[in-house]
Amino acid sequence: MKRRSRRSTLLIYFVVIFWSFIVLFPYYWLATTSFKKPLDATRFPKYVPFYDFQPTTEHWDYILTQRWDKTSGSFRNSLIIASGSTFLAVLLGSMAGYGLSRFKYYWKRLRWRNDNIAFWIISQRFLPPAVFIIPFMIAYVDLGLIDTHAGLIIAYTMFNIPFAVWIMRDFFNGLPTDLEDSARVDGATRWKAFYRIVLPLSAPGLVSVAILSFIFSWNEYLYSLMLTNAEAVTLPPFIAAQNTQRGVEWWYISALAMLAIVPVILFGLALERFITRGLVAGALKG
Amino acid sequence: MAQASSDLTIEEGQGTRDDRIMKRVFLSPTVFVLLALSIFPLLWSLGISFTDIQRGGSTTARVEEATGETGTGFLGLDWSLSARNYDRLLHDSRLWIAARNTFIYVFLGVTIQYVIGLLLALVLNQQFRMRSLVRVIFLIPMMTTPVVVGYTGRMMFDSFKGPIADLLRHAEVWWAQVPVIGSDINLYVPWMTETKWARFTMVLMDSWQWIPFMMLILLAGMQAIPDDVYEAARVDGASSFQIFRRITFPMLLPLSATVILIRGLEIFKIIDVIVVTTGGGPGSATESLTMYIYKTALTFGNYGYAAAISFALLVLVVIFSTLFLGLIRRFIPRDQY
Repeated sequence: MKRRSRRSTLLIYFVVIFWSFIVLFPYYWLATTSFKKPLDATRFPKYVPFYDFQPTTEHWDYILTQRWDKTSGSFRNSLIIASGSTFLAVLLGSMAGYGLSRFKYYWKRLRWRNDNIAFWIISQRFLPPAVFIIPFMIAYVDLGLIDTHAGLIIAYTMFNIPFAVWIMRDFFNGLPTDLEDSARVDGATRWKAFYRIVLPLSAPGLVSVAILSFIFSWNEYLYSLMLTNAEAVTLPPFIAAQNTQRGVEWWYISALAMLAIVPVILFGLALERFITRGLVAGALKG
Repeated sequence: MAQASSDLTIEEGQGTRDDRIMKRVFLSPTVFVLLALSIFPLLWSLGISFTDIQRGGSTTARVEEATGETGTGFLGLDWSLSARNYDRLLHDSRLWIAARNTFIYVFLGVTIQYVIGLLLALVLNQQFRMRSLVRVIFLIPMMTTPVVVGYTGRMMFDSFKGPIADLLRHAEVWWAQVPVIGSDINLYVPWMTETKWARFTMVLMDSWQWIPFMMLILLAGMQAIPDDVYEAARVDGASSFQIFRRITFPMLLPLSATVILIRGLEIFKIIDVIVVTTGGGPGSATESLTMYIYKTALTFGNYGYAAAISFALLVLVVIFSTLFLGLIRRFIPRDQY
């Protein structure tokens, strides 16, 4: 490769540093605000702890001890609901993805083949959720699913499945079929070849689907807002609701927000390679 | 990637019994779930949009029940009655404001995110130290809850106690000392309180979160372009800008169309950020369509009308994405797309 000129190297570093600042500064602000006394957070901006303002841990104390039952409640709800729908999406999505990758389907009535079925599945992801929310609300009241974990798990699974199918289909398409073939020649059933050979090999795909589904369910707001009211409230509506009591208490909100985003970000960063792979697979074909 | 093919692929009526069972068992749960949770509610929602169902029941249904009729709240097949929600929709000025806002969000948001995302992807496509760390840092906003993005944005953009306003105040003081510019400079920006600025702030917050997505996908596309194409261009003496204009950009077009469509459809559903920042205000200046539907259903309790709006929204989404796909098909050869 040709050597870059000094000027363009400088330009690259400038862009990188500038954008890193844009990305990281809001998190810095969130983190420091959670340690500010109310007066420090509501008057002129204070930037540096111990220099500008004296940090305090009282807000973290309030959230983690005095109100821990409420905080942990929504944290637990988020965890249960995100895990549940992630599990279902991975399970159903990988099955359907494998089916679409290895078998030939033909639905006579619509003359649909694999590609049409796959497109129909991904198109479900792009319908505005607002269209489904009214029937979901009415049906959930009748079925007793309103404000339950199961209710939100079902709703999120519906949104996670399309991406799961799409990514897994792509993943299986990229897996060579030789290994399966030879296992079958050796007398393994197709089913056995699937769970002994294909499934272990597809771990990276499964992980990327799992992370994406988890992050989506963890961050989702509208459905949780509409389909829960007390027992099953997840973190996003719980945080959003903080603004009604006694004005906006930025210090508590910041602490809560940190609590909500730190796990997903750490989780996401640890497995960043997988996410990239999954997203790219999804978008390149989407 | 090409469709995997082997002698294992089963045509209709071929394969062992095991294979045929597996073929059906693997796909049917997903199809069933999507039919039950997506198509059925969709049709039901269409039905609801022709009723006057409200929180606490439908007025028509109560009248029907009292007179011994069926009590479904269905407004009947008489068009003038059953289309009442849709008629109201045409004359609802607040809805039209929400629609216009949503279009502004989609248009501005997609443009900003594509341009900056492409720029960042170009930078990350170069070799430099700690590149993988930088890429990881750039991806963080994507994993942040939009509600938190909204709250953080509200702190950042606060016109008095926010750090951005503070920076601008300092800039005012510095610039006032420059003789030519003079002292009557006012950098106060009503980020959340003035109509146009508030809309723009919403776009900025959405962009902050989703530029990484554009960047990531476009970067992957760039890395898929074979090196020898670049080599050939360099041998011919093309400048970096020419290489970008003649090679990188055109080869990214199909992928660009896809991400633009994905992002456009996602911004169409924008709600969380707005709810926690302006709550749709000032007035209804920043309200999006999804937010208006949510308010109609939850705050006003008018399910029938909310369903009608969401259906109109669905029709809009389908029309626009079809138009967009049709448009890009004309510019991008079929085999590339």
